[in-house]
Amino acid sequence: MSAERIYRLLLHAYPPEFRAEYGREMVLLFRDQCRESDVRTVGFWAAVIRDIARSAPALRVEAWRARRSENTRTVEVIMKLAAILTLLVGVFGIVNTMIEWTAGGTGSIEHSLALGLSVCAGALLLAAGVAIFLRPSERGRQAGRLALLASLVLIVAARLLHPWMSVLSQLVGIGLPIALLIALYWPRKHSTLGAAG
Amino acid sequence: MVAKRRAARPPETYLPLPPATFHILLALADEELHGYAIMKDVAARSDGTVRLGPGTLYGSLKRLLAEGLVAEGGERADPDRGDERRRYYRLTPLGLSVVRAEARRLAAMVRAARRKKLIGVRPA
Repeated sequence: MSAERIYRLLLHAYPPEFRAEYGREMVLLFRDQCRESDVRTVGFWAAVIRDIARSAPALRVEAWRARRSENTRTVEVIMKLAAILTLLVGVFGIVNTMIEWTAGGTGSIEHSLALGLSVCAGALLLAAGVAIFLRPSERGRQAGRLALLASLVLIVAARLLHPWMSVLSQLVGIGLPIALLIALYWPRKHSTLGAAG
Repeated sequence: MVAKRRAARPPETYLPLPPATFHILLALADEELHGYAIMKDVAARSDGTVRLGPGTLYGSLKRLLAEGLVAEGGERADPDRGDERRRYYRLTPLGLSVVRAEARRLAAMVRAARRKKLIGVRPA
């Protein structure tokens, strides 16, 4: 097996992205080294192994951090989409409740109270969506969490007052805030890329 | 936008530079070079005490490119070697400021060592 072929195998210690970008250049440089050194000596291969052992782990860590940073950005995009969905559901909830209110005419006090609570829950969902969408900072997320929690409490109270609430309304009104709360409380890590020098 | 933010970062914030990084920037201070020429320049200037392997060299170059201290100068064959095309690297204005700042920092340390008579005093 030629020295270059061995070196090509050793290059697998580096992350694939790094190999794709610099692999050819590294092999060229290794070829230059081979021309000027005796590849049959232990010292030559010790230097090669030392170089790989020094550089590959750090580059692996950097590649892992870059991937983690990319995942964080993906989560941010998902959160923005969820915020838009929350806004739409909030508007839809308010409009739907208002239509039900006007169509139903004068119902029982419990029914009117349940509709009032549903409107408030819809408004809170709307506020949560705005908070998450416009302020993706920790403070924005905290405001979103509070609005979602309050919305959840109101929709549960409305459900208790008005047991004939549709299954879809219950799924959206209770399921969406719970799902978003889980997403907002999910541990988030910050990228540390760029500290290298 | 990212480039603007990088340019706004003062050169002193990159200091101290790791020895390999300083040697690479120093090698690129005069002209753009390919990897093997950088390696040879560093070995010659340090009397063989600093030997950059391919992994250390390209790992450092990758970081320097990401930080905007070094830029790629295109691919061409080395007229002296006349073989395969090689990627050339050059110093950016930011890279030049950083290597100057590091040189000043090291010079200040040498002056301090001289004042303490730890190394030879400057001839009169």
